[in-house]
Amino acid sequence: MINIQRLSILTQFELIRIFKTKNGLIALATFCAVWFVLLYYMISSATEIIFSDGFKMVATTLFGALGLSALLEWPVAEFSIYWLVAVYSFPLFTLFAASDQTCSDKARGTLRFITLRATRSEILLGRFLGQFIIIAILIFLTLVACVVLATMREAALFIPSIKQAAVLFLELIIIITPFIALMSFLNSLLSSAKMSIVMSILFYTVGALLIGYIQLQFNSGEFLNYIFPGTQISRVVSLQNLDFMHYLIPLVQSVILLFAADKLLKRASL
Amino acid sequence: MNFTPQNSSSLIHVENLSKSFGDHLALNNISFSLDKGQPIALVGPNGAGKTTLFSLLCGYLLPSSGSISIAGVKAGNEKLFGRLAALPQDAQFDPRFTISHQLKFYAQLQGFTRKDAIKEAERTLDLVGLSDTLQAKPNELSHGMRKRVAIAQTLIGSPEIVMLDEATAGLDPINAREVRELVASLSSDITFILSSHDLSELERLCSQVLYLEKGQLQQHQNLQSEDSQQYITLRMKQSYDNFLELVQNVSSVVSVKQTQSNEFLITSAITQTDEPPIDLQILQLCHQQKWQYSQLTNGKTLENQLF
Repeated sequence: MINIQRLSILTQFELIRIFKTKNGLIALATFCAVWFVLLYYMISSATEIIFSDGFKMVATTLFGALGLSALLEWPVAEFSIYWLVAVYSFPLFTLFAASDQTCSDKARGTLRFITLRATRSEILLGRFLGQFIIIAILIFLTLVACVVLATMREAALFIPSIKQAAVLFLELIIIITPFIALMSFLNSLLSSAKMSIVMSILFYTVGALLIGYIQLQFNSGEFLNYIFPGTQISRVVSLQNLDFMHYLIPLVQSVILLFAADKLLKRASL
Repeated sequence: MNFTPQNSSSLIHVENLSKSFGDHLALNNISFSLDKGQPIALVGPNGAGKTTLFSLLCGYLLPSSGSISIAGVKAGNEKLFGRLAALPQDAQFDPRFTISHQLKFYAQLQGFTRKDAIKEAERTLDLVGLSDTLQAKPNELSHGMRKRVAIAQTLIGSPEIVMLDEATAGLDPINAREVRELVASLSSDITFILSSHDLSELERLCSQVLYLEKGQLQQHQNLQSEDSQQYITLRMKQSYDNFLELVQNVSSVVSVKQTQSNEFLITSAITQTDEPPIDLQILQLCHQQKWQYSQLTNGKTLENQLF
């Protein structure tokens, strides 16, 4: 059984790790700086380009081919660019940001102090929830910045921006959830954050090649793509004709990965 | 050698416990029972399996076979949270947080409110004489100070069992003595299990000894048993030519054995006669011969008992 009070304390400790420690604040400042550059130079200036007739013609052809033409019809152009950047960058960012959930504590022995006071399942879930909340807060902040940017361009866009931001927030947190769970799983298996990142890269490169080979050899095995968190992104990116499966896939992936991580951590030697 | 558990309602009850790492058998089918009370020593040479046994008792490792019951529940069970505390060898605090923050975090996990957790952090740090390090980060402290802070975390709340793995290793003599005094002062409420290479330290503190060698439990004995009353350990300041002969002549002395340079184990028969006790006779002889002794111990030293 999970003790909710202990789970809450473990989760809060993760938040403190990012928002109240020097290393956490440096990481946060780096994130803000990168997103400032993206918002100010890329998204803001891209919006001006989007409004030009010449671009519209090229983009309609290009985006139409990619199934993204709906993005050009969004009332707030900033969010079209934001979404294209965020939907691919946040999963990658999540792999790095959530790469050290239990590894360092395990290597340092700190986990030995904690396991005398909380179950391994509580530690795993507490750390996962902590990372989830941290990344959700960061996504929220980038969306707030994007709302500000759009409203500064045209005050009337404030309400449509808020509505669009709410939709994108929900979509993004659903997308990143299995990526956090993947890192929880790799943390239970491996002894360093660096190794977890390397393994996640190998998982997406060698794993994809292997599955591609299997599918080519047997002319089937489409379902194997479901082992990759983010497998639904290419279909979600247009935000059109979304069905329940688009939400179910990442949620089921997260549950399976967390379940496997729990089994591994319970048997791990500390 | 196995020591059959005497009763299953003991504080710690270990039965047929084995642990292997690959082909290496670190613990081989050991069984013992420990009761609540005076500190217990866990002794053995390097690689004997002390830390493995420690880790198994704390639930850091899972046994390959056998069972461990602590206060009636399986090792690592959440019912032991707050009841069993440990200083694991080489475990470090998170360098990013202050000592106060980490002790507060552990106290909160044990059920303390935020406000009480701060007080508990202060109380436990005060117990180990480090009140002024509350706002320090682990890397700002010396090795010895970090170890004392790690001891402080074992005292959060009111644990019934505290396991200290090499608690005084790396501490200077003054700090080591303070830790020993702390253990002695708290041992009426807490059952301590101590592992150390310093046998004289364990001898001072512990009443029971578990001696491990090559993964097997070689001895499980009570240091205050009746047997030890028949022995005197005498350490002389220098060697004297006729020492062995004269001590041997003291009535009721059965044998005199040199255990180390200038250290002798004197075995005497328990007699019912009116003659003075053996220790007084030995002291009288030293006085008469103008021999200078540095230490007289009633019984065998732990080292002489084990080796």
